[in-house]
Amino acid sequence: MVARERLAALRERFPTATLRAELPSDNRLYVHVPRELLRDVCRFIFRDQDARYVISIGADDRPYSGMFLVAHDFAYDDDHILCSVLAAVPEADPTVPSITPVVPAAGWAEREFRDLVGIEPVGHSYPKRLILPDGWPEGVHPLRKDVPWNHMPDDYDEDAVYPFGDPPEGCTVIPFGPFHPTLDEPAHFRLYVDGEVVRGCEYRGFMVHRGIEKLAESVMGYDDIPFLAERICGICGCVHSVAYCQAVESATGIRPPERAEYIRTVMLEIERLHSHLLWVGLACHIVGFDTLFMQSFRIREPIMWIAERICGNRKTYGLCLVGGVRHDITAEVAEDLRGVLDTLEKEWTAAARAVSGDRNLMARTRGVGIADRQLVKEMGLVGPVARAAGVPRDVRRDHPYAAYDRVAMEVVTHDGCDVWSRVLVRTEEVFQSIRIIRQCLDRLEPGPLQTPISDELPVGRLGLSSVEAPRGESHHFLITGENNRPRRWRVRAPTYQNLQGVPAMIKDQRLADMTISLGSIDPCFSCTDRMETLDLRTGHVSIWTPEELATAGDSGRRR
Amino acid sequence: MIDAVVRSLANVLAVMALAPLLDGLMRKLVARIHSRQGPPITQSYVDLLKLLGKEDIESGEVPAAQRASAILALASVLTAACLTPMGLGVPLARYADGILLLYVLTLCAATTAFAGLAAGSPYSMVGVSREMMAVVVLEPLFAFAVLVGAVQSHTLRLQVLLDGSVYGGGGVTVSGILLLIVMVLGLQAYAQKQPFDTTEAETEIMEGPLAEYSGPKLALLRYAAMAKLVVYASLFIGLFAPWGADLAAVYAWPIHWLKVLAVVLGVALLATVHARIRIDQALGRYSALLAASLAALVLAVAGY
Repeated sequence: MVARERLAALRERFPTATLRAELPSDNRLYVHVPRELLRDVCRFIFRDQDARYVISIGADDRPYSGMFLVAHDFAYDDDHILCSVLAAVPEADPTVPSITPVVPAAGWAEREFRDLVGIEPVGHSYPKRLILPDGWPEGVHPLRKDVPWNHMPDDYDEDAVYPFGDPPEGCTVIPFGPFHPTLDEPAHFRLYVDGEVVRGCEYRGFMVHRGIEKLAESVMGYDDIPFLAERICGICGCVHSVAYCQAVESATGIRPPERAEYIRTVMLEIERLHSHLLWVGLACHIVGFDTLFMQSFRIREPIMWIAERICGNRKTYGLCLVGGVRHDITAEVAEDLRGVLDTLEKEWTAAARAVSGDRNLMARTRGVGIADRQLVKEMGLVGPVARAAGVPRDVRRDHPYAAYDRVAMEVVTHDGCDVWSRVLVRTEEVFQSIRIIRQCLDRLEPGPLQTPISDELPVGRLGLSSVEAPRGESHHFLITGENNRPRRWRVRAPTYQNLQGVPAMIKDQRLADMTISLGSIDPCFSCTDRMETLDLRTGHVSIWTPEELATAGDSGRRR
Repeated sequence: MIDAVVRSLANVLAVMALAPLLDGLMRKLVARIHSRQGPPITQSYVDLLKLLGKEDIESGEVPAAQRASAILALASVLTAACLTPMGLGVPLARYADGILLLYVLTLCAATTAFAGLAAGSPYSMVGVSREMMAVVVLEPLFAFAVLVGAVQSHTLRLQVLLDGSVYGGGGVTVSGILLLIVMVLGLQAYAQKQPFDTTEAETEIMEGPLAEYSGPKLALLRYAAMAKLVVYASLFIGLFAPWGADLAAVYAWPIHWLKVLAVVLGVALLATVHARIRIDQALGRYSALLAASLAALVLAVAGY
C-alpha cells in the first residue's frame, strides 16, 4: 500500500473530520487532524493498521501560525511509509489528549514536550518531569521560541530534589547510579526490589541534556548542523549527521548525487562495524571475558584506521552536508578498504565462533532481559533488541535511504528475545555489513559528491528521515525555517525507545541480571550484580544521599 | 630449631621475592593471549613499590582494623609458606601438622573478608558476602584433599601429607586422580581468577572487599594475593606432584619453582579462556567440586 491508500483508509474511518494531508511522495504521509481526534486517529493507526510508533514531537509554531504543534510519527514498515500525524494547539489552551493510554511507547515523548514546549498531554498515565533538571521552575519551557537558548531562570532552585514515587508494598529501594565507576554516563535507576527480584523501577536521566535541538534552531545554520548532529553520539555520530541531512533533503526535495549516496552507505556500515565489534567486546568485558574483549578491539582497529584514511578521523567523520558528502573514496582507498574487509571477515569468523560457542557467556545471557514481540510493539523497541525478538525490522530494508535500495542484504533475526539473541544478532550483522560495503565499492561510479544548491531552501516544509544506527532506528523530524536554519528539529535516538523497555525487561528478573540487560540495549551501562547479595544475605540496604557521599569523600583525607 | 628457622626464612624470602615475578609473568602471558604488548615482567614489583609510597588514606569504617587486616593478610600467607614444602622440605615439620595447616589457610581466606568488613562500604559488603559464601564451600575442598592424604598415609605429619600422600603408598589411586581434577578447578577459585573471580569482579562490584583500600594497605593486600597463589600452587604440587622434592636442595629448589611457574601459568591460561560466571552459578559449581571431593574421601576410605 502506498501513502495515498493509507490516507484513503484514514479518511474512510474518520469521514466527519477534516483531514488535511500532504503527500510529497509515495513513502511519506503528513496528516493534519483536529487535536480532539489525535488519540482516536493514533489508536486507529497503531492498533488497527498495526503501524509502529516512532516518536512524538512538540513544536512552538506561534511566530508563524500562532499555534503550537504536536506531531506523532508512525512507520508502516511493510509499506515503506513514514507518517506524521499533526495537530495544531491554540496558545490559549496548550493541551492535547494524551495518546499514551493507547500507545504506551509515547510515554516519554509526551512528557518531553510537556517539559520543553509546555503542551500538557491530558490523560497521560504518568505526567512527571522527564528532562528538565530538578531545580528548574515550573512554567518555563526552554524550547519555546520566546525563551533564549542561553536562558537561566532566576528562580532556579539548586537544592530541589526529584520527587520519586513510593516503592510498591513489601519492596526495598536500591539505587543504581547516577555515578558508578563502570557506568560511562550518568543515569539513575531507582530499583524496587523484593528479596532479589526486581519488581519495578523508576528512571531519572537526561542529566547531561545539552540542548542541542535548541542550539540548532536558534544559532546554527543548515550546513553547520550536520557537525552538531554528529556530536550527539560518540559511537553513531555519522548516523545522526546522515539522518539530519536526509530530513532536510526529504523536506526540500534535494537529491544527493549517486556517488554521495554510496559513500554515505559505506561510511554508515563502517560505523556499524566499529560499533558492533566494540559492543561485543564490552559485553564480554561485563561478564569478565577479557580475552574476547581485547581480541574484538584488535579486530576492530583496522576499521578505525580505514575511517581515518577516508576522512582524517577515527571517529566523528565530518562526512555529510545537505545534498552530498565531503569526503571521496578514491580507488586506492577502496582497495585498502577491501583488504581490511577481507581480514575482518576471516578474523571475525573465528571470533564469532568463539562467542557463539562460549558456554559461560551463554549461561550469563540466556533467558536474561526478555523483550518479546509484544513489548517490542508496545514500547516501540528498535534495532537488535527487536530483531532478537524475531521482529524483522530494519530501516535499511523497510525505509531504504542512501544506496540501501540498490544493495542486497539480509535482516538477521533470532527469536530468543533475550540478551544472548542480541549478542548473536550483532555478531552476525557484522557479516552483512561487510557484504554491503563490498557491493557499494563494486558499484561506485565516478561522479560529483555534492548537488549544487543555488536557491534558499523553502520554508515551513516537513521532513522525516530514519537511519538504521547500530543500536536501532535513529529518527529525525524537521520543519524548515527562515534564516537558513530549521524551525524545529527533533532527534530520536534508538536508545530513547529502547530504554523505555528496560523496566519491563528487568521486571521479575534477578537483580544480578539487571546490567547485562541494560548493556544489551546500549553499551554504556554495566553490571549491578553487586546489589543482589547485599539484599540476600543481610537484608540491609544503604542509600547514599549527596551529603553522605560528600562526607564519605572527605572523611578519608588527612588534614 | 635453627634449621627450622633458617628454612622458614628461606621459604618466606623466596615467596616474597618471586611472587611478584610470577605475577608479572602471568600478566605477560595474559597480555600475549589478548594480543597486547603487556607490561614488563617486573611491573608487579614497581606497582607494589608505587603503592607503598602513596598516601595512606583511611576511608573505611574502622581504620585500625583495616590496618590490622592488611598486615594479617600478608602475615598469614607467609606463615602458611613456613608449613609448605618449597624444595627445602617442610620448614616447621616438627612443630606443625595438617590440622594447623588447615587453620592457617582458613585464616588466609578470612583476612580478605575481615578487610572488607572493616572497610564497611556497600561494595565491600557485597564482596564480603560473596567471599564468605565461596570460603564456606571452597575451604573444605582443601581439607578433603588433606584428609584423603591422611587416610591414605595414616598420618597428619606435613612432610608425609605434602609428599604426594593422596596417591597412597605409591601408584596412582582413583581418589587421587579425582582430587587432582577437583583441585585443578579449585585452584582457579583460590586464585580468584576467571571463571571464579566473582568476589572481586571489577565490572560488577569494583574489587569487592578491596574497594576502600589504596596505598600501602592495598600494596599489602595485593602482595598477599600474589603470595597466596604461590603458596597454594606449592601445596598443590606437594599434594599431587611432589616428584623431585626428595633430591638434594640444589636440584629440588629450582625444580619446585619451575613447577610453581607451570602451575601459575596454567591458572592464567585457564582464566583467559573463560568468562566470569555469576555468584549463584559459581556456588553451584563449587558444590559439585565439594561433592566430588567428598566422593574421593569415601573412595580413599574404601581403599581406592
